[in-house]
Amino acid sequence: MLFAIMMLAACHNGRATKQPKKIAVIVSTLNNPWFVFLAQTASAEAKRMGYETKIFDSQNNTALEADNFENAIASGYNAILFNPTDANGSVVNAARAKAAGVPVFCMDREINSTTEATSQILSDSYSGCVEMGKYFVKTMHKKGNYVEILGIVADNNTWSRSKGFHSVVDDYPGLKMVAQQSADFDRNKGLEVLESILQAHPDIDAVFCGNDAMAMGAYQALAAAGKGNHVKVFGFDGAEDVIGYIKDGKISATAMQFPKVIALTAARYADEYFKGKRDFPQKNPVAVELVTAKNVDDYVAYGKKN
Amino acid sequence: MRKSVKYFLWIAIALVVAYNSVYFKKLSDLNAGAAKAFDAAAYANNYFYKQLPAAIAKAPDIDKLIAMLKTDTAATFKTYGHALAIGTTRYFLVQGKGTITNIDDNGVWLSTASGNSVLLATEYVYGNALRDASGLIDINQFSSTMDLNNIAAEVDKIVRTKVLPPVKSDLQKGNTIQFTGAVGLNQAHLQLGDIEITPVSLKTIH
Repeated sequence: MLFAIMMLAACHNGRATKQPKKIAVIVSTLNNPWFVFLAQTASAEAKRMGYETKIFDSQNNTALEADNFENAIASGYNAILFNPTDANGSVVNAARAKAAGVPVFCMDREINSTTEATSQILSDSYSGCVEMGKYFVKTMHKKGNYVEILGIVADNNTWSRSKGFHSVVDDYPGLKMVAQQSADFDRNKGLEVLESILQAHPDIDAVFCGNDAMAMGAYQALAAAGKGNHVKVFGFDGAEDVIGYIKDGKISATAMQFPKVIALTAARYADEYFKGKRDFPQKNPVAVELVTAKNVDDYVAYGKKN
Repeated sequence: MRKSVKYFLWIAIALVVAYNSVYFKKLSDLNAGAAKAFDAAAYANNYFYKQLPAAIAKAPDIDKLIAMLKTDTAATFKTYGHALAIGTTRYFLVQGKGTITNIDDNGVWLSTASGNSVLLATEYVYGNALRDASGLIDINQFSSTMDLNNIAAEVDKIVRTKVLPPVKSDLQKGNTIQFTGAVGLNQAHLQLGDIEITPVSLKTIH
């Protein structure tokens, strides 16, 4: 009888070890092509390494994100590749996974904790915007009025980009910021916000936007107001339409992020974790590169030309 | 009597627990404590004046570095390049000298002994070149990326406010400059024609 039970247990364990480990990809939104690319690349890489994967869409909602974490943990996922919705609000979700023994690898967006995620692989937004700030000052010849359109106020990337930009631009008193407003990283909101600002400040010379979607919206507002040719627009992301607009001379510059590098690194870290590695750097910056009319031919959407 | 002692003991315990459970601190003291958590300016000062000079003493001459990059790019990046961020851009410490051939809004253009034309930045000294090029800073020692950003900003500030002002008047066309500094290069799109050196030191050779 005892022998039979032991045999059954051995069979059960044998079946368990043969099943592939499962990796959940929980992404802030699938309503933005940048995050779709990030999630799909992470999922594809995990699959390529032999893991079972599923993408969960949090729809920019921390409550839905919490449900996604609960589902992933309850469904036995062994690791989570995580693109958070909120730097503070998402900490509790990462903590829940950690308490359940599930490692979390943050992708692109940061959580305000150095203990709940196993590692955070983040675009070096600050440094990218330092380079953007240098180019901005040069292009503007150190003087002029400009508008800053911010992303989601609760997202650390919004402030990393803004701080990096201002760490250079604020040293040049001839450059005056006449308005600073959030448009939530959204193209339509970017359009509406700049239309509204132009009513009060029709004499601006430049617009710095925290992402490319808002830069596209801002350009649209300027073109509609007949100012598309002489007000310079600066974005951030490296989105396909902005790369095209830089080639056409409609947008001055963007900062190219590398979602593929972020996603591949996160998937590789999960793989290394399963194989026993534990000493991951808590924060891993991924370099961001300035794209202008001078070097735009070296780049494609979300990356470099091979 | 026994009961009153018991009550007294319980009250004493409750008071001790209550007293040790609540602390009052001035908000300004707490903020000051938080600000003191990482002193990027002090870190940068120590790094720039005490750690960087020894690393720069071993840095290749700019002409030698360019020659090595032309002959074996991958090996040169691996041997001499450093960066904290994941990516294809790496930073290199360099030293050398050159004659000023042109001065523009970005800095002074130098012609080196081997005829290379390089820009010595004197205006836009911002970025990660000086922080990363030495390879001395270990990312694992920092849990906040903002601390690393602040180190870069403070190191650059030393150059802008302490290194450059005393020598700017000597930067005249035809003068020969001896320099040390750092260079950022992208291995995926290597452009050796527009090398920009962020200076650590520079002096005119008469």
